[in-house]
Amino acid sequence: MNTSLIHIIKKWIPEKSKVIDFGCGDGSLLKDLIDEKKIRGYGVEIDHNKIQECILKGISVIEKDIDEGIQDFESCNFDVAVMASSIQCLKEPHLALRKMLKLSKQCIVTLPNLGFWKCRLDLAQGRMPVTPNLPSSWYETKNLHLCTIKDFETLCFEEGFVINERFFLNDKGAKSAMASTFPNTFASEGIYLIAKK
Amino acid sequence: MKTKTELIKFNQGLDLESGARLNTFDLMVETYGELNKDKDNAILVCHAFSGNHHAAGKSSDNETLGWWDEVIGPGKAIDINKFFVVCSNNLGGCSGSSGPLSLNPETNELYGKDFPLVSVTDWVNSQKLLSDYLGISKWHMVAGGSLGGMQALQWAISYPNKLKKAGIFATATKSSTQNIAMNEVGREAIRKDKNFMEGDYLNHNVKPKSGLKTARMLGHITYSSEDIMDQKFGRKFQDIKSKIEGTVDYEVENYLQYKGEKFSDTFDANSYILMTKAMDGYDASFSSNGSLEEVMKRIKAKLLVVGFDSDWLYPPKRSKEIQLAAMNVDVQCSCVILKGEQGHDSFLFASDRYVKIIQGFLDSK
Repeated sequence: MNTSLIHIIKKWIPEKSKVIDFGCGDGSLLKDLIDEKKIRGYGVEIDHNKIQECILKGISVIEKDIDEGIQDFESCNFDVAVMASSIQCLKEPHLALRKMLKLSKQCIVTLPNLGFWKCRLDLAQGRMPVTPNLPSSWYETKNLHLCTIKDFETLCFEEGFVINERFFLNDKGAKSAMASTFPNTFASEGIYLIAKK
Repeated sequence: MKTKTELIKFNQGLDLESGARLNTFDLMVETYGELNKDKDNAILVCHAFSGNHHAAGKSSDNETLGWWDEVIGPGKAIDINKFFVVCSNNLGGCSGSSGPLSLNPETNELYGKDFPLVSVTDWVNSQKLLSDYLGISKWHMVAGGSLGGMQALQWAISYPNKLKKAGIFATATKSSTQNIAMNEVGREAIRKDKNFMEGDYLNHNVKPKSGLKTARMLGHITYSSEDIMDQKFGRKFQDIKSKIEGTVDYEVENYLQYKGEKFSDTFDANSYILMTKAMDGYDASFSSNGSLEEVMKRIKAKLLVVGFDSDWLYPPKRSKEIQLAAMNVDVQCSCVILKGEQGHDSFLFASDRYVKIIQGFLDSK
């Protein structure tokens, strides 16, 4: 995760809140949030090495495949659920979002934008896009459901999710006027704070 | 590996959950490694149903290795170069702590069948007195598998300020109906042995060996799994020369005969009944009318819950129940389900990931 992304996610997470991070990786984000914002945090991860790193950091981690396990945490009453850079890898992203908003008041989602101009250029040249945040070739990628910024916001509208905050980054992972003004074309990544109506 | 074994006498007495009281009691205790000056490197390991204080190493050539020797030792998952490890034989056991085989100080006769019913909570309370005796005000970790895992969980509930971490392996917050059912078959085999004499066999100088043997044979089936038995024995016939019983056809039968026979030589039948009753009776949520969350709220220790995929006695879903209850009430808790090559017994063996996870948990802040 790049630093501006982490910075934004941290800003949106209230002090002392209860947070679940789906696809928490090595637990760095949760570790920072525990140290800086005194949150009560849990991570969900499937990669053995990353789970090991979480445990060593003292982060509470649950070994689970996100595709199968989101609903298990319905009783936990989270304040914020984080799904950074993994929503497009799930089998049913729209159902995953519904489930996340059942177990948590708000949900932070980050996603790569397939509408980014460099992706469009690759496609116009007849090739699958390969960009800094879509680095894998078509046969290696874990992404199953890529979408554009416009697609994602349409889904939120159709599902009745409210977008409380949104933020866009260019392909350098930085804030830019172009990315903010014309995100569907100039944002490489979108970051959303969504809630149920 | 150096082990220290000591019988410790407690004169302050212990009130048991059953309402009975032991005015004095003994605990047979084994330790490994050295307690540091700050007394903050101590780990208590709790044994499972048929284990005892002898958790690791061996003190003489004839002794067998301890039950958790794969996990406890120099450079192992629980490294005795860093930690001072303590293990005691549970009350009601038959390896030196007060139990059916010890003298009742009130009557000067063997307790036998009259040893009072003990519970997981009673064990934890007796271990708390042990930690006071050793001058350990806070365990770095309390850990165990199966019935030992129940003790580790109960420690975290009963004495929240007295441990930093709890390692809760291959266990559950309560025994399932099926667990109770299996245990009852074992107990019935013992009770129906003509040498059992309603538990009074010690006074008749006999031992209900065949009942104990049958009970243990069933036990070994539950500790393994269908796949593991297939892999280990398949349908291979037992070689004629090494048949333990003439009736044996298959290797698996011979294995069970051997294990059962060995167990019935060493274990006490009244202890068997007491231990399995304690296991059946355990329900962490009992004191709060079935609300696990209500009792788990008290926990301040960090929990590590480990389940094994081939364990059908305390299957992974039981581990996940602990983790979910912990998350519901904001208790710090990690939960991993490991590939287990040995069914329920997997918690005894040092697989790569298991070792790393325990080490990581012990080293974490």
